[in-house]
Amino acid sequence: MTGWHLDDDALRRYVERTDSLAEGTSAEQHLLSCEPCRARVNAAASVIDPSVIDPSVIDFAAVWDRTRDAVEAPRPSVFERLLRGAGLPAHEARLVAVASAFRAVWLTGVVAVLGFAALAAAVGHARGVWLFLAVAPIVPCLVVASSYDPWMDPALEPELVTPYPALRLVLLRTIAVLALALPAVLLFGLVVPGETAFAWLLPAVGFVAVVLAASTWVSPLRAAITVSSAWFALVWLLAARSGSPDAIIQGRAQAGFLVLAAGSFGVFILRRRQLRQLRPWR
Amino acid sequence: MDSGPSDSTLLLAVAERDLGAFRTLYERHSGWLAIRLARRCNDRDLVADAIGDTFVAVWQKPQGFRGDGDIAAWLWGIAIRRLVSRLRTRGGVAAVFEHAEVAPAAEDQVLLSVEYGDIGQALARLSPEMRAVIQAVVLDGLSAKEAAQLLHVPVSSVKTRLYRAKAHLRAALAEGSS
Repeated sequence: MTGWHLDDDALRRYVERTDSLAEGTSAEQHLLSCEPCRARVNAAASVIDPSVIDPSVIDFAAVWDRTRDAVEAPRPSVFERLLRGAGLPAHEARLVAVASAFRAVWLTGVVAVLGFAALAAAVGHARGVWLFLAVAPIVPCLVVASSYDPWMDPALEPELVTPYPALRLVLLRTIAVLALALPAVLLFGLVVPGETAFAWLLPAVGFVAVVLAASTWVSPLRAAITVSSAWFALVWLLAARSGSPDAIIQGRAQAGFLVLAAGSFGVFILRRRQLRQLRPWR
Repeated sequence: MDSGPSDSTLLLAVAERDLGAFRTLYERHSGWLAIRLARRCNDRDLVADAIGDTFVAVWQKPQGFRGDGDIAAWLWGIAIRRLVSRLRTRGGVAAVFEHAEVAPAAEDQVLLSVEYGDIGQALARLSPEMRAVIQAVVLDGLSAKEAAQLLHVPVSSVKTRLYRAKAHLRAALAEGSS
């Protein structure tokens, strides 16, 4: 500390930015080590005439409120931080990440089910391959459905009170869920021998699209359960009749799943306004 | 105004999760930080965001201050880097970085040369681009990369401008003293 301080004129020129670079630099160096002068700049900052120098007029109270909220909020989950790292704004990341599917328990359950199926398949038991084909395609659509079903996730209710494009939320969540679920299923698929490993991919995409489309009429969870039951029945039937999973793996069936996916997604986009009913399923 | 706990006492309290001390620290430093940041960036919202980021960072890591030098200087170091990183994520917004381009009145001119001698004049003769680089790298202590992000120019331009600006200043000062 020295006895030297910025004189009033220099201070005013600094705050109003009518000084030269040399003068400004000197003022800044002094301010770093002089608390009284900093206090004078603060005082000047609060009475600046906006017409003179607009950019410096900041609502410090509002910034403080935001800062306090930020430090008082619980630390975002790993997944939420990942989403934010991917460029999603903070409030959207929170909205996407709050879904129940991202709770560790859920994922563990899903992974365990798939693990058993893949294990059974890898052991080479014919029934194991069937089991894998029955389970793997429906996992993504079940996870998607549970990721925004209010019945499963009470945390969602207050969120949807705020106006927010439901389509965007559903799509964001779907993409986020698939980004989590697909690698897991894919990984287990690698354990399964032959083409079976990837045969589930198109049906899975198709089912997700069906669930999205159906959720414009009924609750997504109900849609997912219906789709899963139908798929189980179909696989059961095929297994009982032919005993070979070729019927699902062959090109014609796969093309059919692709058509199913495209068609359902079209329906979903066309009926997206019905998504406003996202909340009150009971 | 100048009574009350010192900055380092406040920072210790912040480390103990004392929100009141945090608030005092904010009130003591947000004003001048904003004024100084606004000299680097014309976007008021961006400056406000950078201020918020700075204090969130202080709350999260108050132990980042090692106890050497002024807390104000430490805060400034955080603030200018937060501004750079805000600018980087915002992308399109250019950092308009300039003093009001008013020609100093004649008597100010005299005062300046009395106060700062040749350096002030030598700096004033630099082009705005060179002055911006000098300010970012030499005075604010940013790396060439950070300065490039702040000024929206390639790193190589920062380096060449800095080199030329230094050469220019050196020549101007040598000329003045001889």
